[in-house]
Amino acid sequence: MSAVSVAPSTPLPAVTKVPFGRLLLVEWRKMTDTRAGRALLIISAGMLLLAMGIVVLVAALNDNFSLGLSTWSSILTIPLSLLTPVLAIMIVTQEWGQRTNMVTFSLEPSRLRVMAAKLVAVVAFALALIAVALLCGIVGNALAAAVGGYDASWSIDGQVLGWTIAQQLLYFVSAFGIAMCLLSTPFSIVVVYVDQLLLPLMVWSTLYFIFDWAADLIPFIDMGYAMSPFMGAGGMMPDGTQLPDPGTQEVLALICSIFLWVVVPVVLGAYRVLKSEVK
Amino acid sequence: MYAMIKVEGLTRVYGTFTAVDDVSFTAEAGKVTGFLGPNGAGKSTTMRIMVGLTNPTKGRATINGSLYADLPNPGRHVGVLLDASAQHDGRTGREVLTLAAMTMGLPKSRVDEMLELVSLTPSEAKRRIKNYSLGMKQRLGIAHALIGDPKVLILDEPANGLDPAGIRWMRGLLKEYADRGGTVLLSSHLLHEVEQIADELILIGNGRIVAEGTKDTILASQGTAGQSLVTSLDNEALTVALKAKGYSVEPLGTGMRVSAAPAEVGRAALESNVVLTDLRDGGAGLEDIFLQLTAETQRENVAQIHAEGVSA
Ligand SMILES: Nc1ncnc2c1ncn2[C@@H]1O[C@H](COP(=O)(O)OP(=O)(O)OP(=O)(O)O)[C@@H](O)[C@H]1O
Ligand SMILES: [Mg+2]
Repeated sequence: MSAVSVAPSTPLPAVTKVPFGRLLLVEWRKMTDTRAGRALLIISAGMLLLAMGIVVLVAALNDNFSLGLSTWSSILTIPLSLLTPVLAIMIVTQEWGQRTNMVTFSLEPSRLRVMAAKLVAVVAFALALIAVALLCGIVGNALAAAVGGYDASWSIDGQVLGWTIAQQLLYFVSAFGIAMCLLSTPFSIVVVYVDQLLLPLMVWSTLYFIFDWAADLIPFIDMGYAMSPFMGAGGMMPDGTQLPDPGTQEVLALICSIFLWVVVPVVLGAYRVLKSEVK
Repeated sequence: MYAMIKVEGLTRVYGTFTAVDDVSFTAEAGKVTGFLGPNGAGKSTTMRIMVGLTNPTKGRATINGSLYADLPNPGRHVGVLLDASAQHDGRTGREVLTLAAMTMGLPKSRVDEMLELVSLTPSEAKRRIKNYSLGMKQRLGIAHALIGDPKVLILDEPANGLDPAGIRWMRGLLKEYADRGGTVLLSSHLLHEVEQIADELILIGNGRIVAEGTKDTILASQGTAGQSLVTSLDNEALTVALKAKGYSVEPLGTGMRVSAAPAEVGRAALESNVVLTDLRDGGAGLEDIFLQLTAETQRENVAQIHAEGVSA
């Protein structure tokens, strides 16, 4: 056995409180230092490129097909909204699944600081992914126009773009909160996909068309429906009609749905993380 | 700096079950304190409370007077190893230490220093934890606890999975650490393991402390010191001599059990010119006391173990 001493060979830096920036760097690193983490990143990038490739291919094969940057942005939102919630969920639940929370919380006992570092790290990551998606949209738009033989349209509605990004981020924070409530990867993924994809596509949309009351109620309980009136000129109701300008009821619905799916899960989740026994 | 762990009236209740029941003790600087108890005695629960991972129902644990949660950069004050397998399967050993070094604000060179200290080779350090053996995980855990050069160590069954050479190495390491003024609290359910390195022992059973102190004070407090087992060429003459001195003697196998320390028995034999063929301490060993004290919490029948112990 080695005779190396326990004492450090060179004096270690003075002891100070762990700065938030350092926690942030550590959480950022944890996202990418495992095979699973890297796989998720590669899949994210791959899906964006795949979506871009398919659209360019369609543009190349169809003679009278042309699309502008705003269409690109809504197409590329799809792979993003499929993937980013998983990132938000994993950064939380992995610590419980792999029991690394024992180490994480003994190196930084303030669990709220750790969770805040995780949230900031993963939101920064989501923003980077959105930037990559926008870049894909720009490249794809130019490519499609070139191979499809039409003039590229570069017009994009700032309001639509802004709300699209806001929506992605709200879904994202919602997934983070749900993950803190459930502290389990599979449960959280199921709940988030049911809430963010299945219910809006399969259930709300059907109810929306059949019942009048549903059209009034649904925006209060679903963030997607609540946000669509704010998407501005480009926004459409699910039945394809042009949107009216948002009034008081729309604003209330937006606040209510955000409260329900972002504020409540984050607060309950933070409480659970704070109070639970780590073992 | 005078670093110590102080536990005061610590209690943890799960539903109707009291896992830790009004536990108080101190682990002093410069000493290795062994925390000993059978499975389910409450050792790990107590240690988790010390580092703030489990909330106590009552009482508190402080490190140098402050709660663990109030320590700035606690990894630099307290080295913690609670469960060596609680690491991400997909990370490499080196990555685990790198993350710890980053959090604590230590230079990267410290990672190599620690890997060398616990004898993990560079190629082993590059392997994923998934492919680590139990002992390698344990070594990594020890490196993780020591990386911030803390003044206090809290180790839950650190010898778990180490080979004999590894256990000896760890013993030396903890001794050196305590000699430098560090405080070490380590738990175990194996008496032999702790007996050899701990200066102080805390025996816990059923969530309660049943005995504490040095090995000798525990033995003395249980009133089992001053017993000998003796065999001689003339047992009858020796019995008479011992009884004359006021000791009780009872036959046992080919010899006798005497209520006197071996020195007294030897003196009596010398005075009465009896040749001794065997003389040893007949007091209950620490192990007997450990088993007795924690009897209600033992899963096995203690009486049976005793019988086997005597006949063996
Ligand atoms: N969350 C919980 N709910 C109910 N009982 C619990 C819980 N956590 C621990 N216990 C119980 O508390 C008791 C003490 O457990 P602990 O892990 O502290 O024992 P230990 O002394 O470390 O044992 P070992 O030597 O086997 O590691 C056990 O009976 C255990 O079942
Ligand atoms: Mg234990």
